[in-house]
Amino acid sequence: MDSGFCVLRELRSVSLRTLMWRTTDALRRLPAYGAGMSRKRLVLLAVVAAVLVGGSLVAAMVLTQGGTARTTAAPAGAQRVAAMLRGVPQQGTVLGAAHAPVTLLEFADPQCPYCAHWAREALPVLVRDYVRSGQVRIVFNGMHFVGPDSATALRTAFAAAAQNRFWNVLELLFENQGTENTGWVSDSLLRSIGGSVAGLDTTRMLDARGSASVERLIAGADALAQQAGVTSTPTFFVGRTGSALKGVNVSSLDAAGLRPALDAALRQ
Amino acid sequence: MSDRRLRAAIVVLATLGGGIATYLTVAHFAHVQVACVTGGCETVQTSRYAELGGVPVAVIGLAGYVLLAATAGFRSDLARVAGAAAALGGFVFAVYLIWVQVHVLGAICQWCMASDFLLALLVPATLLRLRDTP
Repeated sequence: MDSGFCVLRELRSVSLRTLMWRTTDALRRLPAYGAGMSRKRLVLLAVVAAVLVGGSLVAAMVLTQGGTARTTAAPAGAQRVAAMLRGVPQQGTVLGAAHAPVTLLEFADPQCPYCAHWAREALPVLVRDYVRSGQVRIVFNGMHFVGPDSATALRTAFAAAAQNRFWNVLELLFENQGTENTGWVSDSLLRSIGGSVAGLDTTRMLDARGSASVERLIAGADALAQQAGVTSTPTFFVGRTGSALKGVNVSSLDAAGLRPALDAALRQ
Repeated sequence: MSDRRLRAAIVVLATLGGGIATYLTVAHFAHVQVACVTGGCETVQTSRYAELGGVPVAVIGLAGYVLLAATAGFRSDLARVAGAAAALGGFVFAVYLIWVQVHVLGAICQWCMASDFLLALLVPATLLRLRDTP
């Protein structure tokens, strides 16, 4: 038994030594690799390696980004929205750090023109001054009382929440808001919006619009709006995260309208 | 041109390219807008083509420039082959990305174009080095 163990140990030690020697030798000879090859062969080797490297990168990009076909034109505001939300954490319908001390709850309808105005004028400033720094998180509670296009828009945005791109889609819907219930929330617009959002699988988003999770989000949002007694949009509630939120009567639809309430909540 | 001069040219070009790639990488992770006179930098940098498998394209470019500069530090045939392969392979990818900017995104990023120009210069420099293999 003992002698068998010794033989095994010897074999392992020899094979390890051989392996180390071969590796060291290969590394030592690596810089001289190709020496003695004709110039023609070296050029051929370089071209083959280049085609492999360049071709692999192009193929990987084509495969992961869904081909090189011209995508639908980028929707209005794609650049602005992407820049505004870049690097800001999103979790479902929550924008900002999960443990931010203050929560701003927004009730809005994707077809409401005042909500779109607030999204364009106030939100970028609030994101810059309060959300990016981790002081405030914004929770969106969608409503759809304006009509069918509101429901379609809201379902799509909620479907994007599963991929944590809710706010990108919502803000682009506000940016491209059309005349109420004219069918402006078309598949063409939604594909254009989806295609412009980095990291969003558009097909998955569109397929998920009728999913059980989206139904739950719609039902939950309806229930919360009813419970809070919200009858018009946009309506805001502010408070310490985890505590009861208080309704805010905003004096204007720019960032200044909410600053006093946010600052007061932060001081608490 | 002597091998020494070619190696120096490769180091200079790769350093400039590496500088651009570093700037774009920092801007990507710091979430800041890049300086832009062509107006399309942000569109390109925030597009879905700005990342490959979750890795920013700028990081891939930075790795390529580091490799190119490193190959200039050696005289071996392997270094010459690796340098030419990296420059040519990178240029193939760069041509594809220019096509994406023009035909898919409809936006031009000046930093990407500057990097592509440097790669276009690195291709003949590395190929000349390979041709002049002793």
